[in-house]
Parts: sequence; structure tokens; C-alpha cells
Amino acid sequence: MSSGLAVEIKNLVKKFKPSFRAKTIRAVDGVSLSISAGEVYGLIGPNGSGKSTTMKALLGLVAPTSGTCAIFGKDSMKVDSRNDVGFLPENPYFYKHLSGAETIRFYGKLCGMRGKELEDRVNEMLALVDLEDARDRRLGGYSKGMLQRIGLAQALVQDPRLVILDEPTAGVDPTGSRQIRDLILKLKERGITVFLCSHLLEQVQEICDQIGIIHHGKMVRQGRLEDLISLEDRTELILDQPSPELLEKIRALIASEEGSKLLSEGHPRTTLESLFLEETQ
Amino acid sequence: MSQAKTSFISLRRILIIARSTVTQLVRMKVFWFLAPIALLFVGLQYFDAFWYEGPEAAQPQQELQMHKNLCLGTMMLFGSLFAIVSTALLIPRDIEDRTLYTILSKPVPRLDYLCGKLLGVLIVIAIAMLVMDILLVTTLHYRTAGVLADMDDFLPRLGWGQDLIDAKKAEIAAHGPSWGLQFGILAHFFKAAIIAAVALLISTFSTSTIFTIATSVLVWIIGALQGIARDAFMDDRTLGETTSIAGRILGTLVSLLFPDFQVFESIAEAAARAQEILVLDVVKVSGLAFFYVAIYTVLSWFAFSDKEF
Repeated sequence: MSSGLAVEIKNLVKKFKPSFRAKTIRAVDGVSLSISAGEVYGLIGPNGSGKSTTMKALLGLVAPTSGTCAIFGKDSMKVDSRNDVGFLPENPYFYKHLSGAETIRFYGKLCGMRGKELEDRVNEMLALVDLEDARDRRLGGYSKGMLQRIGLAQALVQDPRLVILDEPTAGVDPTGSRQIRDLILKLKERGITVFLCSHLLEQVQEICDQIGIIHHGKMVRQGRLEDLISLEDRTELILDQPSPELLEKIRALIASEEGSKLLSEGHPRTTLESLFLEETQ
Repeated sequence: MSQAKTSFISLRRILIIARSTVTQLVRMKVFWFLAPIALLFVGLQYFDAFWYEGPEAAQPQQELQMHKNLCLGTMMLFGSLFAIVSTALLIPRDIEDRTLYTILSKPVPRLDYLCGKLLGVLIVIAIAMLVMDILLVTTLHYRTAGVLADMDDFLPRLGWGQDLIDAKKAEIAAHGPSWGLQFGILAHFFKAAIIAAVALLISTFSTSTIFTIATSVLVWIIGALQGIARDAFMDDRTLGETTSIAGRILGTLVSLLFPDFQVFESIAEAAARAQEILVLDVVKVSGLAFFYVAIYTVLSWFAFSDKEF
């Protein structure tokens, strides 16, 4: 396996045999993907398409029926591969009896950290996810967004080179969702590889370099975001303060050009998310 | 972090998980169950057997033995039930809450996780046993002193000479707090540790907490009864009766699959009767307990290492 890649999944197949049913379920069917170091990769697909199973196989939580998964060249079924990974599962519930600081400390210790290094890291992570004020509050009293952020903090505690996020903004309000999105962008700036799956396609589009679309366990489309979504035969112009005369001239020019057609015109709109954030912040 | 080599098993990681488990159980306020036990132990102080009259006259040690029997029985019952319930709850809850995902996605071998969880439960049981032990020793101390004071008053009235009275008082004092009693409590702790390891094994493949608890209780009952069943089987043979091949195979299977608690029970009974318990016997029982816990933990690891989440 190539060690130049952060993630390399080759022909991953995962079959499940449900109890009392003869027919096996092929949750993942020959998925291959590779993520270069420092990239943000978004895996999208409908519910039950095999996204979470692919992530679990990469983390060694399920064993591939066939195929291989590697993290920085290390077989993901080996415990060693997890030195370089941070994982935030979908809707995580950490130990409710621990406070925010205790939770990060617990995961840091599991990664072999101790002493001042650990305490500094706990403080750094709490600051990163903006939970310094809630550091001594037990997680039982945390909101959904706070739990997601503390989850992200525990995922990052050992300064991993790869972060795997399963629906990182699921159930989080737009403000919390934006904070998590900004955190992911910060990780990207720091050169950390991010592998995420999400239902929020707009967010995936905003932050991902590469996209994979998975359906019925198969990878149906994959590639760089701009290559996948750009419409090469169409052009968009956005004009600031155009006069009605100028617009009329443009329309006439388009009409005079054979093969060209004006498909639509109007005022560009802000997103509901931007409007919400503008009004609530 | 990337170049770090993760060891096959690490005492440090086990202790981290054990400590978290202890904190979890303590903050779940599990020690509240000690309150009714404390009341029971103290309440027993005021329960007198009628040894001043009838055939039990001048047998006041029975009073102390009854106190110890009730207290040791309570410790055994609560220790074992606590071991089963707390162990059966921990792993399924971690899976349900997906806490296990985040733990196992760190460089934590599954054996470390299992050992840490089990050790955490054992530490909490040990603390609970220690508190009950202190309660038992304290109440027994005062009860023994009370009985001895009563004897000073009662035996001369029966016309006993001082030598006989001193001998009787020494006999009664032997039923007070002693190292033998501590060995009996240790035997009950070992039983709880073994049944916790059994519950851990069952919880690694069980899909429901109720199943884990019910099966562990069943194993606990079989473990308590298999010694009696084997004794009955031995008696049959001494009477010249033969046991069928199927019966012998069944007996062998039961003894291989289930722990035998009789040896632990015999230590506890000897402690209650104030009989001498050899240190060598305690060492042997400790070794047996360690063997059982180790075997069930290794089996748990086999079941858990391939488990998918």
C-alpha cells in the first residue's frame, strides 16, 4: 500500500448476514477511494448507502469481507494505524459523568499523553472548540452542538494527521453547524486530512476538495469538486448596479449570437443560512 | 504520534479505563446500596437469640455466629449481584452510546478495554466489600464485647468456676473479629470477581442486558450448586451405584464450563464458624480465583476481538 496517501481503500466489500435471514446484505460493494494528505474528502449518499460502514471499516470497527483499508500506509485493522486518526461518530454520547475537560483528558491519556503536555493540550482543545466556559460542566448538561464540539476536541486531542467525521453537524442548529464548519476549515488550513460524510450538501460543497457519491454500497461518482459540479457549456455573469439600458444591450447581443441562449436572469440571492446567521449574531 | 508503536497490552491504559469505570460507577451513585446494608448490620445488633434459656443456654457464640452468617451472606449476595449488574450494563451502554467507537478508534487494543472495564468493576466491589467489612467488624466487635460482659454476669450464676468461664470467654472471643473472618470476606470477594468475569464474557456476545444478567445469575446458581451435585454423585458411587456415561459427560461439561464456588463457600463457612483457616488454603483459593478470572477474561477477549460495531 502506498504510504503517500492519508487514506487508501481498495475494493472494499462488506457483507452482513442478518439473523434468521438467508440472504446476506452487501453494505459496501467494491468501494475504492484514496485521499491525499491535507485534503478534505466528502462522502455523500442517502441513508443506508454504506457511508458509515466504509468509515467503520477504515477505523477497524468492522472487518472487511474483502478488500483493504489503510491509513498512512498502515493496515486499518492494526491498532497502530489509530495513532494518526481522530474520529467523531454520528450523534456521539460521551460519558455523561465526566466534565468537558475530563473527557478530553481521558482520551488524551488513552493516546499516551500525560503531565503538562496533556494539560496544555486539554486547554488548547477547549479553546479551539470554544468550550472553555463549560470545561467543568458535566456532559449530561451539554447541548447537542456542545457535544459535537467536545467530540471534535477528543478526536483532535493527540494531534492526528487524519480526522474522520461522521455527520459532524447532524442535529446541530445553524450557528453550531457554522462553528463546526469553521473548525473543519481550520483543520484544513493546518494541513490535517479530513474525511467526512454529511447530508448537508451545501456544507460539503463549501469545504471539500474531493467528493465521492455512494449509493447502494457502490461508489457511483468520485473526483475533484470543481470537476464534478462545473457546467462547462454555461457561463454566469453577476453585475453590480447594471442600468436597464446595459441589460437590454446584453440581451440583444445574446440574441444576435447564433447558438447562444439566455436561460435565466434575476437577482442573486443570499442563502437562508447566511440570512439566519446575519440576523442572529 | 504517528511513529508510536502500540503495545499488545498496557497496564497504564488498563488503569486509565479502570479509573474511568470507577468514576462512572461512583457518579452513578452505586454506593447508595450500602446504606440499607449498614442499617441491616447495625439493626442486627439489637436482635437477640434466646440463649439464656433452653438447650442453647451457655452457647452464646451462636449469637455471634448468626450475626456473622447474616452479614457474610448479605455481603456475598450484594457483592455478586452488584458484580453481575454493573458488568452487564457497562459494555452494552458503551456500544449503545457509541462511546466505544471513540475509545476503540484511539490506539487502544480491545484486551486493554476489557481488562480496564473488569478492573474498574472489581475496584468498586472491593471498596464496597471493604466498607461492609468495616461495618461488620465494628458491629461484631461491640456485639462480642456485649456478649462477654453478659457472660461475666451470667455464667457465675450457673455455678461455673473461673477456669471454665475463662475458657468459655476465649471460645466466644474467637467468634469476634479475626483474620479468619477477613479470609471469609476475601472468599466472597473472589466469588464476586469470578461472576463479574463471567458477566463480562456473556456481555461480549449478548445482544441484551437482560439476557446477560439472567444468564450470569444462572451461572452463579450453577456454580454454587455444582459442588453439592458432585458430592451427591460421589455418594452414589460410594454406595456402589454407577452413574451413566451421559451423566458423567454432563458432569464433566458442567465442571468445565461453570466455576465451582464450593471451595470459596467452604472458606466463608469456616470463617463464620470461627474455624481455623490455613494461609496456604487462602493462597490456593486466591490462585483458583485468579485462574477463573483470567480464563473468562481471555475467553471474553476471543469473543470481543472479532466483534463488529
